[in-house]
Amino acid sequence: MTLWQRMTNFSFLPDYAPYFINGIICTLLLSVVSVFVAIIPALCLALMRLSKSKILRGISGAYIQVFRSTPLLVQLFIVYFGPFTAITLPSYKMFGFIDTAIFIPGVVALALNSSAYVAESIRAGILAVDKGQTEAARSLGLTQAQTMRYIVLPQAIKNIIPTLANELVTMIKETSVIGYLGVQDLMWGTKTTAGATFLPLSPYILAAAIYFCINFPAGKAVEALERRMRRGDK
Amino acid sequence: METNKLIQVKDVYKRFEDGNMTVALDHCSLEIRKGEVVVIVGPSGSGKSTMLRTLNMLEVPTSGEIIFEGVNIADKSVDINVHRQKMGMVFQHFNLFPHKTILENLTLAPIKVKGEDHRTVEERAMRLLGIVGLADRAHDYPSQLSGGQKQRVAIARALCMQPEVMLFDEPTSALDPEMVGEVLEVMRDLAKHGMTMVVVTHEMGFAREVGTRVIFMDQGKILVDEDPKTFFEKPENPRLQDFLAKVL
Ligand SMILES: Nc1ncnc2c1ncn2[C@@H]1O[C@H](COP(=O)(O)OP(=O)(O)O)[C@@H](O)[C@H]1O
Ligand SMILES: [Mg+2]
Repeated sequence: MTLWQRMTNFSFLPDYAPYFINGIICTLLLSVVSVFVAIIPALCLALMRLSKSKILRGISGAYIQVFRSTPLLVQLFIVYFGPFTAITLPSYKMFGFIDTAIFIPGVVALALNSSAYVAESIRAGILAVDKGQTEAARSLGLTQAQTMRYIVLPQAIKNIIPTLANELVTMIKETSVIGYLGVQDLMWGTKTTAGATFLPLSPYILAAAIYFCINFPAGKAVEALERRMRRGDK
Repeated sequence: METNKLIQVKDVYKRFEDGNMTVALDHCSLEIRKGEVVVIVGPSGSGKSTMLRTLNMLEVPTSGEIIFEGVNIADKSVDINVHRQKMGMVFQHFNLFPHKTILENLTLAPIKVKGEDHRTVEERAMRLLGIVGLADRAHDYPSQLSGGQKQRVAIARALCMQPEVMLFDEPTSALDPEMVGEVLEVMRDLAKHGMTMVVVTHEMGFAREVGTRVIFMDQGKILVDEDPKTFFEKPENPRLQDFLAKVL
């Protein structure tokens, strides 16, 4: 077979399409849930990073550096074979095929990783709010916490939302390591298909096409969102 | 202690720890009595804003005391939020809250900080908006207002906390010339009603007419502290003479 034939041999599709369809569902679910779960810890990390306490700043900074400087796959294994060997999770099949006993540790690992990145974008979003806003609020007698809650965060959100959407796009790609735990995501479905059909190339071409078809429009949507949020400014 | 002394600045020294180690306030002392309108003038960079901002601890002095209503608020063990409620501040760039309506800009602090009743605060806010001529804009957002209107709202917002003193940092410097008058008018009115005010400004007409005392600062020092008549008509300090020759 020529290279072109190997790339475009989709004869596996009639039998293996469900792997890909389930894979898309699983990948999207995993990414959305992980980024969502990451928001609260990320907000805590960002506020710690901005606090006056050296200790809180140090803890948060160390967390962020550790998670950004080590591979996601390593983090995934450490979380799965570390804390989660001590906990027995209920095994329930979401959509009939996603096993919660491995999905949950996967979400936890991805969210821990994602929170390190999201924390930095929340921090940047907070810092981008004009200092005059804080000064005005403090001059009226609001405490630091009230100022954050009523004045700064509501304005920072429009800086943060586009970066969250961006993180989601990144996450859709990053989740591809989750197959190592046996979570049946898009990458897992692709690998299984390639192994079973002895077609080493074309399933991956299809997977690439699917990832692209999700992420390219999503990326464009993020850009449009960013433009709209910016236009919303005074 | 004399009760009519609202604020006493005692030997305040402020150095910014930022590489340049700028000395913004070089051992300044000053008293502000109830009902006074103290105007601070001086060249750019002379420490006027820093002086004003140390009065409500937006800048913390390196050394020295700020006595407000008998309490040294420069002391770190003091809960500054309690005292700031009584000191309104108006900024050069308005700093209205863009995500809140005009009315909410006024009512937020009285409700959240003082825990006042919504209805009471809203009534007071509407009355204040009426006084600054913007009652009909209560439900608009700051972005829908002109600069002059924004600054009038900012003044009303500070007043809504019912402060003992109002601090103004170049309130008309960011305005188009045709809007300066409407803001000065509101301030003049406030002074007439007996509000204690500390005003940093380049508007010498305002200083002369409305000020009860005028202070000249240069290089972090208070060089002159006089009544307006002496200040403008018989200035003795050579640096002040220079300054007046440039700005008048
Ligand atoms: N936050 C700051 N950090 C460092 N230096 C500052 C800061 N604020 C003011 N300064 C410096 O302190 C001096 C006095 O500034 P300021 O009080 O703003 O003067 P003015 O209001 O009279 O123009 C200037 O030299 C200025 O550069
Ligand atoms: Mg200034």
